[in-house]
Amino acid sequence: MLLRRLITVSVLTAFIVLTSYTITVLNVLGELPPRSLRPLAFWFLNTSFTPWLNYFSAMAPETVTAILWDYRGLDTLFETAVFYFAIIASIALFRGIEEKHGGGYVGLSKIVRVVSRVLIPVNIVVAASIAIHGTITPGGGFQAGSAMAVAPLILIIVFSRFFLKEKGLSKNLLIALRGAGLVGVGVASILALALGLLSGGYAFIFQNQPKEAAPIGLPPDVLGFPAGTLLIFNLFEFIAVFAGFTIIFILLSIPEDVAREALHGKH
Amino acid sequence: MFEAFFTLFLMMLLSPISTIAVYLAVTERNLLRAVLFSALQSMCYAFLYYILMAPDIVLVYVPVSIGLYPAAILFLIRKTKECE
Repeated sequence: MLLRRLITVSVLTAFIVLTSYTITVLNVLGELPPRSLRPLAFWFLNTSFTPWLNYFSAMAPETVTAILWDYRGLDTLFETAVFYFAIIASIALFRGIEEKHGGGYVGLSKIVRVVSRVLIPVNIVVAASIAIHGTITPGGGFQAGSAMAVAPLILIIVFSRFFLKEKGLSKNLLIALRGAGLVGVGVASILALALGLLSGGYAFIFQNQPKEAAPIGLPPDVLGFPAGTLLIFNLFEFIAVFAGFTIIFILLSIPEDVAREALHGKH
Repeated sequence: MFEAFFTLFLMMLLSPISTIAVYLAVTERNLLRAVLFSALQSMCYAFLYYILMAPDIVLVYVPVSIGLYPAAILFLIRKTKECE
């Protein structure tokens, strides 16, 4: 048994070392990334925040957010839609399963509960700052939403899921929040177009800053803080992702016997 | 110069640890321990992403792969059996 394990580990190690060696030192796949792609990175880095080239710029110092919600914004919209449908499918799987009685929960020990009470506000502040500062520092809506989703997860584990319900964070409210987040993302994606149509001008779907053919765009900053559509997208994505993950954890925390009882009846 | 060597040293330390953690996660029969090994691998990857200067990935990787994903798997294990 030990010999077999040893052989497996040796073969695996040899495979990893040889693959890394052939790809990095021997360059069997050619240069990675290929030289022909490098001007693309150069272009993004050089135009994401250039007020003197505003027809090309996303006007956000955070290049990754600029790429995600401006240069390839439609991709991110579809990713958000995929995540939304995954959550919808989970809710559909758990339909009709609801635990009626609540209260009387004990939770984990007092030490864990006190530490959680101290840490959860910190978690919320960090998540909000990742979302709001998404246009100037690393971060953005998805990052902030998943960081924020850790807070209800800790609450479910340390206290109980009835605790969340008691505090008003029910499944239905979260579904509504998730819908609102998605509607916000949708509205932000056609905001410039709507402004264009109202003012009789010309604009694109998913337009952020003015372009040469479509001079209508969103203000690049609010009181000196980089904004545009990126800030709106980040905030609504933050709400949508947070609500989505929390719904999943509320559903997953339903005990198996309760789910079985709801599906098959008491027998 | 020292920083470059330190970075390289950290990468050379964390990459094998993550590979060993993956191996242990796959072969471990106790599912709870397997989740912990998987979280260890995620932790190594989070450090590696940070060393490779991808803070955006780190910010999403830390909550998802060290917090949410092991928690989801633990909830699912509770619904089945603890050992394979």
